[in-house]
Amino acid sequence: MEAILTDCVQNSLHHFMYRNAIFICERLCAEFPSETNMQLLAGCYLHDNQSYAAYHILKGMQMAQSRYLFALSCFQMDLLKEAEAALCPANEPGAEIPNGAAGHYLLGLIYRYTDRRKSAVHHFKQALSVDPLMWAAYEELCVLGAAEEATAVFGDAAALCIQKQYLSHGSASQSLNMPNEDRSAVSARNFGPGPDDASPRQLKHMQGNNLRDIPGNYHGAAAVQSSNGGSSNISFYNTPSPMVSQLSGVAPPPLYRNVQPNVPNPSIPIADSSPRSTVNSTIQAPRRKFVDEGKLRKISGRLFSDSGPRRSTRLSGDGGANANVSATMAVGNGTSNSSKYFGGSKLSSMAFRAVTVRKGQSWTNENIDEGIRNENFDDSRSNSTLTTSSSSPSGDTRSLEQEGAVIPINADIMNGSRSISGASEIMDLLRTLGEGYRLSCMYRCQEALDVYLKLPQKHYNTGWVLSQVGKAYFELVDYLEADWAFSLARQASPYSLEGMDMYSTVLYHLKEDMKLSYLAQELISTDRLAPESWCAMGNCYSLQKDHETALRNFQRSVQLNPRFAYAHTLCGHEYVALEDFDNGIKSYQSALRVDTRHYNSWYGLGMIYLRQEKYEFSEHHFRMAFQINPYSSVIMCYLGIALHVLKRNDEALVIMEKAILADKKNPLPMYQKANILVSLEKFDEALEVLEELKEYIPRESSVFALMGTIYKRHNMHEKAMLHFGLALDLKPPATDVAAIKSAIEKLHVPDELEEEM
Amino acid sequence: MATESSEGEEEGKITSGNHVLIVEDDLRELGKKAAWSVSSCKPGNGVGSLRDDNLETYWQSDGAQPHLVNIQFQKKVKLQLVVLYVDFKLDESYTPSKISIRSGDGFHNLKEIKTMELIKPSGWVYVSLSGNDPRETFVNTFMLQIAVLSNHLNGRDTHVRQIKLYGPRPNPIPHQPFHFTSREFITYSCVR
Repeated sequence: MEAILTDCVQNSLHHFMYRNAIFICERLCAEFPSETNMQLLAGCYLHDNQSYAAYHILKGMQMAQSRYLFALSCFQMDLLKEAEAALCPANEPGAEIPNGAAGHYLLGLIYRYTDRRKSAVHHFKQALSVDPLMWAAYEELCVLGAAEEATAVFGDAAALCIQKQYLSHGSASQSLNMPNEDRSAVSARNFGPGPDDASPRQLKHMQGNNLRDIPGNYHGAAAVQSSNGGSSNISFYNTPSPMVSQLSGVAPPPLYRNVQPNVPNPSIPIADSSPRSTVNSTIQAPRRKFVDEGKLRKISGRLFSDSGPRRSTRLSGDGGANANVSATMAVGNGTSNSSKYFGGSKLSSMAFRAVTVRKGQSWTNENIDEGIRNENFDDSRSNSTLTTSSSSPSGDTRSLEQEGAVIPINADIMNGSRSISGASEIMDLLRTLGEGYRLSCMYRCQEALDVYLKLPQKHYNTGWVLSQVGKAYFELVDYLEADWAFSLARQASPYSLEGMDMYSTVLYHLKEDMKLSYLAQELISTDRLAPESWCAMGNCYSLQKDHETALRNFQRSVQLNPRFAYAHTLCGHEYVALEDFDNGIKSYQSALRVDTRHYNSWYGLGMIYLRQEKYEFSEHHFRMAFQINPYSSVIMCYLGIALHVLKRNDEALVIMEKAILADKKNPLPMYQKANILVSLEKFDEALEVLEELKEYIPRESSVFALMGTIYKRHNMHEKAMLHFGLALDLKPPATDVAAIKSAIEKLHVPDELEEEM
Repeated sequence: MATESSEGEEEGKITSGNHVLIVEDDLRELGKKAAWSVSSCKPGNGVGSLRDDNLETYWQSDGAQPHLVNIQFQKKVKLQLVVLYVDFKLDESYTPSKISIRSGDGFHNLKEIKTMELIKPSGWVYVSLSGNDPRETFVNTFMLQIAVLSNHLNGRDTHVRQIKLYGPRPNPIPHQPFHFTSREFITYSCVR
């Protein structure tokens, strides 16, 4: 009964029928309370986004998988201390982190959000070394500013690592199977004598065939299955990245344990080899085989004795279809029995997938059930042999198709040597993407753009890459190019919201209110609960100078995801526009709590202190922003302004020169330089600069106004008059009009220090 | 609504009011920064009704004329425009007819800067505080006092439905002598 219920749950999860899964699972737990079943129930709740339920169920459990799921629920409920305690118990400093790479990743996130940057970095690096495909960990490292070069991380060693993972399926899938198997073992036992009977028979059977191979294959199968399961996991996961990374996390640890014995073993019994083929088969193998075993046992001990020769037939590569995905168990010999097996295995594979969804690594603790293992082993081996045939690749592909990356790898696995090229292709891709992302996080945007251009067209024209390109242009203050890149990104993936908050800011800068309101409307209609949509809406109102409504929208965005730094920063900007500096400071500081390298918030704080005339603070904050983004001419310009008001004019001028060089298109550093020169009474140099600036930007009122004031100081009244007139023609706002007109009036009055200047 | 709105030099006459409140873009409302008080009020129709953005509610005075609305700031602010919402059709004898605007540092040194005569106004009434001189575009002050000297039809008490104060926007970039006008300057002038 337990097995049936478990299968049903797995099946429902596989089909995304969460309510059904939860209901059946609750019956399962009521009938057979065991930690594995509770894990399954918690997993169902997590799928259904009810992390509080999972939290209560898993509280206090000690199995590795339970601890991982518990930590995940705590993390989602924002109970970081408990999450950390679960993953890394205080009284067991040497305990292994559950779920390998995924566990490290989750722990890294916890450390990041509790301000322990070094530990976070350490764990993310661990996660990557265990599983080089954990892009999310690399991303976090880039955001924290601690990423190594992509070539180092996604290098050849990493490629080898992946190959091993997918080659030695044995360990991984075995381990994956373990949990299933464990559960099935439990349920099998509940059946009564069946499983137990089967086990000894199986054992003997095994022994009949190459005992040595058994453990190897078993592991292989497990490994394979786990990796497959992993991929399926990905498809099942709706929950945040730590879960996804599980996939990768699943494979490695068990894998490594079993690598040695596995690799040689599988090759021996199986003709064509590839233990990899076991991958596919293993996935399907586990549970269901279990149930079928029970029935089969009843049918015959003969079944088992038959399985020997059948197995060898299968082993010789009879070309059965991979039972994994398809029911095509076209096995040559012993078809009927095998089909039963495979039918079982197919179901079990589904169950397996569902189980893997749980990211269960309980196998680590519970690889105990010999009997079950053997059974699985048997099946998996047979499966693997079958998979060696051509149909298996398709099976593999099907099971794998849920995970794009894995597919090429698995397909390659079919062919031992191909796995190497597959892994290295993936590494190439990740290397380029990683390098590009790292450079753009360090604000070396031009280099990042060059790196992204190296991507093949099909990858470049995807939403994510185009968004990154847009982001790079945005940081370069090239808003037109950014607009173009982001609009392409929208075309490539119209449903994707990542980076759209930045797109809305680009449109804000370009003052394109039509496009911006259209974007905001579209985003809200796509997803009302995404922080990016409300950021876009807020930008729309801010552009129309309705700062109160904009602020409300940004606050909504913050409510939706308090860990979205940009929403806090935008709130800060609106508070400043409303002249509510205290709340502005609070908002900027919240943003910095989430992401210390968010230079916009440092800049915002600098601006507030500049307005409040706390010049030392202002200079400090601008300098922090400058350290994070040393390529931004705008930040350099403001640092210069802060130094100028602190009367450190020499340093100010140095920075201004740097700013002028950094971005030729930015007129402000030149203007500020002129301003500083005026205050230093170096009027001629100032005029030179302003003349140059005038050529570049002919219609800027403030340039003429400043020139007018300089001429006025020199008593060159006509020139002053001319320039003031030109300044007025360019329609400055009322305050400037007043200032300029009064300056004109005073032209004929002996020169005194004017307040406006 | 109506068409004419004539203003004299010292004393202005306004014959109508606008239905819609339209203010230039480079002005912003400053009332939120001030402490508002009135010389007298009827319970339920207090000073809050002057600032609640609701044209149905009004302030009703309850004492001797002149009725005063005092607006005090913590720092000196530049003010350019005062806008009142009054309605003869609804308030008749409660509608103010002569208004005087005074400014100063506090109650002790208020000086009159503007007077206005309203003739059956109905809607938003704009009272500019600027002088003729360009140097006098703004009134830079700690306190403003709006005094209702007399009402239509010789009414004793007055109804005012809403008052708004406007002044120039500050330069978005601090410590600059002038505002930026061109797109290039504005684009590069801030990080968002």
